[in-house]
Amino acid sequence: MSARSSHRGRLLLAATLAAVAVAATAIAATALAGQPARPGFPALHPAAAPASWPRATLLGGAAVLAFPPSLRRVISDADAVSAAQLGPGGGYQLYLNATPRQGAENLAHWASFRLRLLRSDDATAARLLAAAGGIQFRGGTGSCVIDTYLTRIGGHHFTEIACLIRGRASASVIVAAAPAARWARARPLLLRAVAAYQVR
Amino acid sequence: MSFTFPRSAAGLALLTALAAGCGTAAAAHSPATAPAMHHSARPDPAPPAASPAMTPHLHHAHPAAVAPAPPPAPPAPPTMNPIPQGNGGDQDADNNGGPSDGDGSI
Repeated sequence: MSARSSHRGRLLLAATLAAVAVAATAIAATALAGQPARPGFPALHPAAAPASWPRATLLGGAAVLAFPPSLRRVISDADAVSAAQLGPGGGYQLYLNATPRQGAENLAHWASFRLRLLRSDDATAARLLAAAGGIQFRGGTGSCVIDTYLTRIGGHHFTEIACLIRGRASASVIVAAAPAARWARARPLLLRAVAAYQVR
Repeated sequence: MSFTFPRSAAGLALLTALAAGCGTAAAAHSPATAPAMHHSARPDPAPPAASPAMTPHLHHAHPAAVAPAPPPAPPAPPTMNPIPQGNGGDQDADNNGGPSDGDGSI
C-alpha cells in the first residue's frame, strides 16, 4: 500500500516537473523572440523574405517592402509603394502597401488612429478584430491592428493588418489586406510579408 | 452784353465737358470693371476651358460700369461622397473602392 502511494507520488511529481518545464520553455522562447503573449493576435516572427520575392523601397531607403511574386506593383501615392494581386475582374485579392508615417499616428494609439482614419476616409464601417503593441520587426518595433471594413466606394469588404513601425531613423506603415471572404486563406502569406518588412 | 453771353456759354460747355470726362475716368477705375480692363489691356491667350469664375467677367465687360453685378450663382449641391472617384485624390487603391493604404490622410 505504501509502495503504491510512493509510486503515485513520484508520477505526480514527474508530471508536475514536466508541466513546469514546458511552461518555462514556452516563456523563454517568447522572451527570446521579443514577442509578449497577445491573446487573439497572431505571432509575427521577423524574418527575411525569400530571395525570389521582389522588393520595393521607400524613398530614402526608409523601409523595404518584399512581396510575393504573385503580386505586382500597382499605383500608389508618390512617396509610397504598393503591390497587389488582382482578380479576373480587376478586384483586389491581395494588397500590400508601405507608406512613410505622415500624420499624427503613434505607436501608443495606433489602433484607434487607424480605425478612426478608415471611418473618416475610406470606409463606411470599420471594426477592430485584434491589436497589439511592442511587436518586433526587422529594424524596429511596431504596433499592429487587425480590422475589417466596408469601403465607401463600391461597398467592398476587406480585412487588413496594418502596422506602424518605428525604426532607428524613420517610421512607416505597412498594410496587408485581402477581401474579408479570402482573409483566412490570404493571412499566412500576408503575415509573412509583414514579418519580412524591413525598416531603417 | 452781346460779347459776354457767348463767353459764358463756352465756359459752361467746357465745365460740362470736364465734368463728363472726370465721371468717365472714375467709372473706369471702379472695382467692378477692373477685370474687364485687365483682359482688354492684356490680350492673354484664352484659358483652355472656360471656367465658371471667368464667365461673368467676360459677359458683363461692358455694362459693368453702369449696372451692378448680378448675384453670384448658387453653390453646387454637396456630393454625397467626399472621396474623389475614378483615381481622384491621391490616386491610390482606396480612391477606387480598393483597400485603404497607409497614409495618414494629411
